[in-house]
Amino acid sequence: MRKLFGYSKEILLVLLAIVFLSPIYIIFVNSFKDRQELYDNALSLPATFSLQYYLEAMEKMNFLSAIANSLYVTILSVVIIVVLSSMTAWMLVRTGGKLSTIIFMTFIATMLIPFQTLMMPLMQFMSSITNNLNIPMYNTREGLIFMNVGFHASLSVFLYHGFIKSIPITLEEAATIDGASKFGVFWRIIFPMLKPITATVMILNVISIWNDFLLPSLTLIDVGLRTIPLSTFYFFGEFSIQWNLAMAGLTLTIIPVIIFYALAQKHIIKGIGEGAVK
Amino acid sequence: MKFQKKSLGSLVLVLVLLLLAACGGGQEEGSTSSGEEGSANKITIFQSKVEISDQLEALAKEYTEETGVEVEVLGTTGDDYFQQLQIRLNSNQGPSIFSLQHAMEAEKLKSYVADLSAEEYVKDIAPNMELKLEDKVVGIPYGVEGFGIIYNKDLVKPEDVQDLASFRSTLENFKAQDINGFGLAQDAYFLIGHISNYPFSLQPDPTDFISKLNAGEVTMAQTPEFQEFGQFMEAIKVNTPTPLSVTYDQQIGDFASGKTAMIHQGNWAAGMLQEFEMDFEYGMLPFPLMGNDKLAVGTGNNWAINSQKEEGEIQAAKDFLNWMHTSEVGKKYIVEEFGFVPALTTIEPGELDPLSQAVSEASNSGDTIPWAQNAYPANIVPNDLTPFAQQFFSEDMTGEQFVEEFDNAWQSAQ
Amino acid sequence: MASKNKRRWYVLFTAPLLLIFTTVVLIPFLIGIYYAFFEWDGIAANPKVFVGMENFTSLLQDERFLESAWITTLFTVLSVIAINVVGLAFALLVTSKLRTSNVARTMLFMPYLIGGLILGYIWQFVFLDVFALFGEVTGLDKVFFNWLIDPQFAMYGLVFVFTWQMAGYVMIIYIAGLQGIPNEVVEASKIDGASPWQRFSRVTLPLLMPALTISLFLTLSSAFKIYDVNLSLTGGGPANSTEMFAMNIYNEIFGSGNYGLGQAKAIVFFLIVAAITLTQVYITKKREVEM
Repeated sequence: MRKLFGYSKEILLVLLAIVFLSPIYIIFVNSFKDRQELYDNALSLPATFSLQYYLEAMEKMNFLSAIANSLYVTILSVVIIVVLSSMTAWMLVRTGGKLSTIIFMTFIATMLIPFQTLMMPLMQFMSSITNNLNIPMYNTREGLIFMNVGFHASLSVFLYHGFIKSIPITLEEAATIDGASKFGVFWRIIFPMLKPITATVMILNVISIWNDFLLPSLTLIDVGLRTIPLSTFYFFGEFSIQWNLAMAGLTLTIIPVIIFYALAQKHIIKGIGEGAVK
Repeated sequence: MKFQKKSLGSLVLVLVLLLLAACGGGQEEGSTSSGEEGSANKITIFQSKVEISDQLEALAKEYTEETGVEVEVLGTTGDDYFQQLQIRLNSNQGPSIFSLQHAMEAEKLKSYVADLSAEEYVKDIAPNMELKLEDKVVGIPYGVEGFGIIYNKDLVKPEDVQDLASFRSTLENFKAQDINGFGLAQDAYFLIGHISNYPFSLQPDPTDFISKLNAGEVTMAQTPEFQEFGQFMEAIKVNTPTPLSVTYDQQIGDFASGKTAMIHQGNWAAGMLQEFEMDFEYGMLPFPLMGNDKLAVGTGNNWAINSQKEEGEIQAAKDFLNWMHTSEVGKKYIVEEFGFVPALTTIEPGELDPLSQAVSEASNSGDTIPWAQNAYPANIVPNDLTPFAQQFFSEDMTGEQFVEEFDNAWQSAQ
Repeated sequence: MASKNKRRWYVLFTAPLLLIFTTVVLIPFLIGIYYAFFEWDGIAANPKVFVGMENFTSLLQDERFLESAWITTLFTVLSVIAINVVGLAFALLVTSKLRTSNVARTMLFMPYLIGGLILGYIWQFVFLDVFALFGEVTGLDKVFFNWLIDPQFAMYGLVFVFTWQMAGYVMIIYIAGLQGIPNEVVEASKIDGASPWQRFSRVTLPLLMPALTISLFLTLSSAFKIYDVNLSLTGGGPANSTEMFAMNIYNEIFGSGNYGLGQAKAIVFFLIVAAITLTQVYITKKREVEM
């Protein structure tokens, strides 16, 4: 009886996954079809699984350079976000008080601002930084990383903040008595305990930075700096879209993220063995 | 004392960060701009027609080989081109050359558009096709474009669509045969933007009519062209399936497979039509509002130069446009690679598809009606006319009510 | 001495992020507020005319904006509920010891990776062809038809697609929350003879409160800011029936070129939503501490 219940859950999961994946199936099969075939039947398997559109998409996207740029921007942004926002969140949690509350509330309140209302003043301000302080915010991957950190700070601080509160303070107090500096306490004791939430923060940030179009399109000008989403613009025409290339491009774009997710999610999930030891 | 310490600490941090950013950025700049001697050695182009991006980059490369001037072509997704342009210009990151659709955009950016009147090749632009702002030429058309009824020659004869009566009975006939007589598509311009031109274009002076309409001196409801246009829209609504769930791809696919006998489209559709296997010939007919027998021909995009750039860069941009429109290589690209129907009389059109052929002939003979949409209030088509058209096609509304609501939608856009 | 030291650490830990955050988010936001008091078309070279509160008073008469604010509220409520129920259910399913749960976790998360124009294309196709087919086969053509062209159902279509997209996202947060619940507590309740439902409602759910707070707020803020899905799926139509708030502002700023008015709209709606949600966060936070 219990076993039957277990099986029915598995079947339910598989069914759910199929429903969830069917749109992804549409993307996949149509990345192999020309316009006539797509029009005739968007659901059928393609006549041939030729890699023609993938190769064409890769060539047009300047794939190797684009993936290098995307990796550079995403990795650096996410590392900086994780380091800075975990530190900030920890301080905010452990040092109560009005100031911390105000800072925390400011972080979360700004999550309600649509980016569309910020982009014009943002670009103007960045341009004045570029001109007056001579720091090239524009057209550099570093400038983009800087902005990515700012825009993803709120979400990350918010997530860390919620998690850190559930960690007993006694551990830290013991270490502090041992004479460790705050820095030491945080990196040696606290940060390792944050692993599950760090994995979550990383996953969410990696995805939104990897897939972001609007911000990089406003800041990066040189062709050589284009990230992967930027380099797919060729497929989205004035009136029509080259679906096969666009879908091949999309598939190429999300494969690295899926691999990353599959690896990272293990760190969110307690291993079965680990649970047993406890 | 406490405060001082705190502010000192943050000050140090700020400085360190700025220094870091400056170093990182500085290196970057050094590596990308090596070999650059003066501003006029590099120009940037930002334009909205994604379809020609590839070819434009190739043309830019040829230009660099010939003259040594570097030409960078920026990417866009078309849809939000103008917004992006606006943001770039506002933050001093504007391109040297950009594209504009019509005089309304030029007016908005009037402090950024350079006067091109003195350019040699401007006099060769086909009559009335240049983009003007207060008598100065500020935009060079990419090419001429036209729209009308694209028809399946096996199913439709030109005399079937001569006027309202014949148009209506043709649609009724097709309905009886289970063929879609007349297809529109859901996108703003394909649903209402283009087709709404006709009653305006047929006015003796469309621009003047539009300003009177804006001022409330005339209404559509009392203008005969609009009254009949309402009847046309009613005939379409009654006799054809709803266009609201038809994408552009679907519209073209249905036409190519013979499920739709006529569609309302422009010569730009030829590119997509060629991607389908078709076993019939097709052509373009004028939309027969009030017996109209002329195609609506105009220009979709124009090249403009950013006047806020330094003198050297402006000159370099002018040189590039000049080269594009006068050199053999440039002309070849315009016709063969971009696939435009040239707007300059000095450029020979190449081998044209049937739709562009019809547009080119009409344009050369001057037998055309203008695009009134270029004088519409900014953004009225997606913002106000499309919701109204969606309402018309999804609710119970007659042709007469269509015109009344058209008036209302127009007024609410003011 | 100790407190001075403490303060120095406080600054050292928080200042770098605060500096970046201020530069990138806060200052542009303040510049935006400044513009709300001007009549300006958004082109730097064109004149800005100071109009005081005029933008704020005129937006109260903008029926389309009020309508859009109402639609956005409705949409937000519906999708916050749908996403959290589905996301939590997913999280419970994939954390139970199943052979397929590893794969399922990845698959359920994948929709979040599809955005923009492609998403619009796929779902238009699903609503037009697949739904119609469903309606024909099941005879339920009153329920399964092209939702996107019906002013009433287009909103549900948006909620549907948005839930599809976001459920996997909040699933991750709920998974992290579920992992934080000590096994002993659950085991103890099993020994006490609690039914699965009791275990969930009396033990798991209260301990999930922090994750719930986070997920509620995240879905709320992203539903309220929705733009991409809105644009690619309905474009605000039919007949403005799904013109959400961000799209209304975008159209005002970049479409109609009323930069100041658009900013004023953004501020008013921001203040209302922020007041509501911050109170909510504040209250739930307090409750968490007490537990």
